Formats: sequence, C-alpha cells, structure tokens
Amino acid sequence: MNTEKVISGFFFILAMTINFGFVYGDPANLEYHSGYELFAAIVINLIATILKLGDKTQLGSVLLATSLVADIQLIASATVWAFAVYVMNGMNLESTVAVVSLAAGAFIANIVSVTLFIGDTLKSKR
Amino acid sequence: METNNTIWIIIRRMRIPFLVIIVTFSISILGLTLIPGMDDQGHPYKMSFFDAFYFVSYMASTIGFGEAPYTFTYPQRMWVSACIYLTVIGWFYGIGAIVALVQDKRLAREIDIARFRKKIQELREPFTIILGYNNITHLIIDWLNREGIRVVVVDRDPEKIEALDLENFIPEVPSLAADVTTPETLKMAGIHQKSCQAVVSLFEDDIKNTKIALLCKLLNKRIKLVIKSTTQTQSEHLHNLGVRYIEDPFQFVSNRMYLALTAPSLWLLEMWTFGHILRVRDREQLPRGKYIICGYGRMGHALERALKKAGIPYSYVDIKSTDYKEEKQSAVFGDGEDYKTLIEAGVKEAEAIIAATKDDLINLTILATAKKLNPEIYTIGRENTLDDLSIFRAARINRVYILEHILAEFTYLFIARPLAYRFVRLLHTKDEAWGAKVVEQMHATLGENPMHFEITLDEEHAYALAKELKKGRQIPLGALRRSRANREESLPLLILLCKWDERHLELMPGDDLPLEAGMRLLIAATEESKSDFEYIVNNYYELAYVLGEDL
Repeated sequence: MNTEKVISGFFFILAMTINFGFVYGDPANLEYHSGYELFAAIVINLIATILKLGDKTQLGSVLLATSLVADIQLIASATVWAFAVYVMNGMNLESTVAVVSLAAGAFIANIVSVTLFIGDTLKSKR
Repeated sequence: METNNTIWIIIRRMRIPFLVIIVTFSISILGLTLIPGMDDQGHPYKMSFFDAFYFVSYMASTIGFGEAPYTFTYPQRMWVSACIYLTVIGWFYGIGAIVALVQDKRLAREIDIARFRKKIQELREPFTIILGYNNITHLIIDWLNREGIRVVVVDRDPEKIEALDLENFIPEVPSLAADVTTPETLKMAGIHQKSCQAVVSLFEDDIKNTKIALLCKLLNKRIKLVIKSTTQTQSEHLHNLGVRYIEDPFQFVSNRMYLALTAPSLWLLEMWTFGHILRVRDREQLPRGKYIICGYGRMGHALERALKKAGIPYSYVDIKSTDYKEEKQSAVFGDGEDYKTLIEAGVKEAEAIIAATKDDLINLTILATAKKLNPEIYTIGRENTLDDLSIFRAARINRVYILEHILAEFTYLFIARPLAYRFVRLLHTKDEAWGAKVVEQMHATLGENPMHFEITLDEEHAYALAKELKKGRQIPLGALRRSRANREESLPLLILLCKWDERHLELMPGDDLPLEAGMRLLIAATEESKSDFEYIVNNYYELAYVLGEDL
C-alpha cells in the first residue's frame, strides 16, 4: 500500500463528492445549496490541485488540468455569489442558477479527474 | 522535458508549504463564519464567507486594518487570536521553504545547467570544447580567444570551474562542472552543434582520454579530436578509432630533439612557427658529443630514440623520482652516492646531460650537481608543471622542455592554425639543405622576426581576388607579391604552403603557380606586408594595379 496514493486518492474523490453535494437539489432554489458546502468544495479542490503538482507524466499533466478547471469553476461560482449579495441587490433567479451551474461544471471536471485516476490505478498491475 | 528541471524541483518542493497555507486559511475562515458576532446596532449576525475571507487575507499577512465589517465580539476575538498564530506560522513556513529552496544545491545546479545550455545554444561562432581545466588548457583558452575562437570548458571539479569564472576571459567561456566521461555532458557542451569544431582532451589518464575519444567519435563523426596519449599502444588504439590528431608530448619532444641534432634549420623553422625568432641563439646549439640521460621513463625513452636515430653516443642513469624520494627521504639530488653515480655515468667527459624525471626539484638538482662536476656541460631539463617556470629560468638551464607548454602549443596550432600545423608536419619530411635554403630566403626578404598568417582565397577573406578568379581569370601566385606602392618592386612576403584540399598541398610554391578560388595559403610576412597583402586581395583597384593594368 502506498500512503501517498491513499492520501491523494482520498482528496481527489472527496473533492468530487463534496462538489456533488453542493450541486444536488433544485438549481433555482438557493435553500437547497449550502454556502458551507461550497466553501468545503473549494478548499478540498485546492488541496487536490496541490497534490497533483509536480507529477511529470502525461497523466499527471491531464489530472492537473482537470483540477485547475474545477478550481476555476468553483471560485467563479463563489465570486458570483459574493458579487450578487454585496454589489447587486441580493440573489435573484439568474445568479442562483449561475452559482449552481458553475459548480455543476466543476463537478464534471472532477468526474473526469477521478475516472482518469481510477483508470490509471486499474492499468497498473501491481 | 529535460530543460525544465528547475521548475519541477520548485513545484515539488512547494507542495507542502502550499498545503499548509490552504489548510490554515480555511480553518480560520470557517471558524469566523461560525462564531456569532454583533453589528453596530447590537443585532446578532454571522460573518459571511466573503467577510471572513477578506478579513483572514489581511490578517494572515499581519497587515491588520482593524476589525471588519463590525467590531468583533469576545468570542470572535478569541478565535482571531488563535487564527493569527496559525496563519502567521503557515506563512513563515512557506517563506522559509522558499528561502531554503533558493539555497538548495540541487536547484542551483539545475539553474547552472540551464544557463550553460542556453549559452551553448546561443553560440553561433565556431567553438572548441575543452575537457578539464588546468595550466595547459588555460594557455590554450588564452590563445584561442585571441584568435576569436570560442571555447567551452567542462571539468569535473566545481572548484576549478569557479577558478575559471574568476579569470574573466573575454569573450566569455561558458563552463560547467560535470563528469566529462558521460555522453550527456558532451551533448550539453554542444558536441552536436554545427558550430562545434573540436574536442580537446588532455587528461593525464590515457584510458580516460581514449574513452572520451570513443564517445566523441560516436556522437559526432566529423568533429576534430585532440587527444593526449603517452604510450605507443594507446596511440594505435586511437588511430584505429579514426582520431586524426593524437598528442603524445614525449613523441613531440623526441622529434624536436632529433630535428635539433640533425637539422638545425628545420628545427628553427618549427620553433619559428610557434613564435620563436628566426635565429638560433648560441645557447640553443646542441653539442654533438656524449649525452647522459637521467631518468629512464617515458621521457627518457623518447629522448633515447632521438639520440639513437641521430647517431649520438649516450649513457643513462635510471633514476625514478618516486623511488628516489622514498629511499632517501629527500627530493634533493646530490649526496655523495649520487656524485658517484654521475661520475660513473661519465659526467666529466660528457658534453650534455638531460634530467628527465617526473619531479621538477630532482631535475633541477641533478643539473646543478652535474654543473658542479663539469662546469662546461650543456644542461637540458624537463619541466613538468608550468608553476615552476620562474625557478627553471633562474637556474640558467641551457634548454628546458616544458611538456605542458608543448602540448598547449600543438593544440593551439592544430585548432587555430591548421595550415601552420601541416607546415610543421611537412618539415619533418624535408632535409637540412632545404631548411637552410628556406631560412636564408626568409632572412633575405623578411629579416629575423617575421610573423605568419593564413588566408583562404574566398570572397569573405579576399574579396576582389576571389571575384576575379571566379570570372576565370588566370592569376599566378607571383602577382600577389608585388608592392602596391610600386608594382615593379616586390612585397616582402614568402608563401610557405599552399593547400587545395587535405591531400593536395605544396610546400614553398613557385611564383608561376596559378591561383584558384578557395585555396588556402600560409604566408610569412611582416606586420606591414601582411596588411598590404590584405589590401591587395580585397580591393579591386589595388589588385588591378599590381596585376599591371592601367587605371
């Protein structure tokens, strides 16, 4: 068992599941989507990105790319939220859907990342 | 991918500091959003994620703009005090990691390598790779730089590379500390590059030299190799590998000695090619009586061959410097026993003594002892390292063979003055009568201190002449030897060697030899006649004038 693999695998999958938790529910209704969940998704995704840094292989580069996409989408989602609340006049339907759909995009990136990770694990025979 | 090692090292090392910063930040932010606060009207409120992120961002960097958006309650303050220490420690750790990274030897080395690669890739002029930095190669670098030939140096010892950097050679000499016997290093030094012309490997260790020669041959077939070899078998090995230029310092000394004994004029011409004046000084005339060789190693054997070939009587004293030092616990030759040895070898009747051991101090003391026993004796010493130059000068030895210097001279000539090098080689096929005639001719036209230069008759170096020759005009060699002030008078110039290609060369070509575009000439001249000659071959009007046309 490779400890490093366990830790990175843990964070990759956690990033995806938390991301899913935030997206799950009616996209037009903000009450189904907790800010804390979004915060956790951002932090876990950042950690997953750092863990993917420094891998020189082809797969490592693709993993890093998916992770960066997820980060950008999630941070954009949080930014839209903060912008709507503090700069515009509170959340409306448009901004609510934007927050959730941006996070949903990040979720897809995370699915790709986890699929690649599992595929690589299956490929290695040890 | 090899080129970006630096970035990968930085990224790998920064992973943990990044993680620490992210975790400390998120804990602080989360805590702040959970703890209840109170706004300016006394209503309870909870910080939003944005407020918390904003506050922690400026708190962590210890800038401190006060409490926002409202003055904190005590529970909030308690949490913030904990957060300050948490995040500040995180930052310190991150900054510390960056500082440690900057000082990291591996990173510094990767940066050095990247810089070296870049410098090599930017080298457009022809350059030579020199492996190993020492007294010999230092001289070679100096001379090659003066000729405008760029040099790249690789040495295993980082201290030597530092010493080289301190020399401040102009133009710059890119250097790298790396193992010279690996193909990676040679590739990094640019052996594949078009402008790379030669590799010089003059290590003490013959096997190392051979290995390098083999590697270089495999990596780049057309490259010139200058490889030192001190034994016959090694030289043969190298020859079989196709190494065109093998330097055996002992063979050089042997050849020179033979030339000096049998054909002083040829010897003089060879020495002149290396910068000696064109006159044999009195003290340079070798006696033809009995010789004593002290030290019977590789050098002793080489000198013996020369003496034998020249038919000169000799005897030898077998002194091994290392054994001698061990036995007598002293590096000074000349106790009672040594006196006896020398007398037995016939020092009183001998006309010359050669000290050829590997130790400079022993060589000096042998010669001093011999002088005491026979004040008339002609002394020849072997000097091993250039560092001892001043001592040898002070000792007033008649002739000193400095192996390091000879090696450097030959390497320089081979790389920078290929025609002069061929000239020296061809001298060894001629006889004394020929040599005497050439020396006489040179004295008559050029005096005692002429210089020599090489020129290719192409459009870059001889514009007007090359154009005319390409038009199909017949110009004899003699036409170039007329003065541009008065074409009836001749220019003090002597054309020593004329080269069409590797196989086709002519020594001392006659005046009626037809010139061809692209041929190379080795010319003996004075400073003034050299610049006159360059005027004539480059300028249409000058050329037309010396060719006898009316303007």
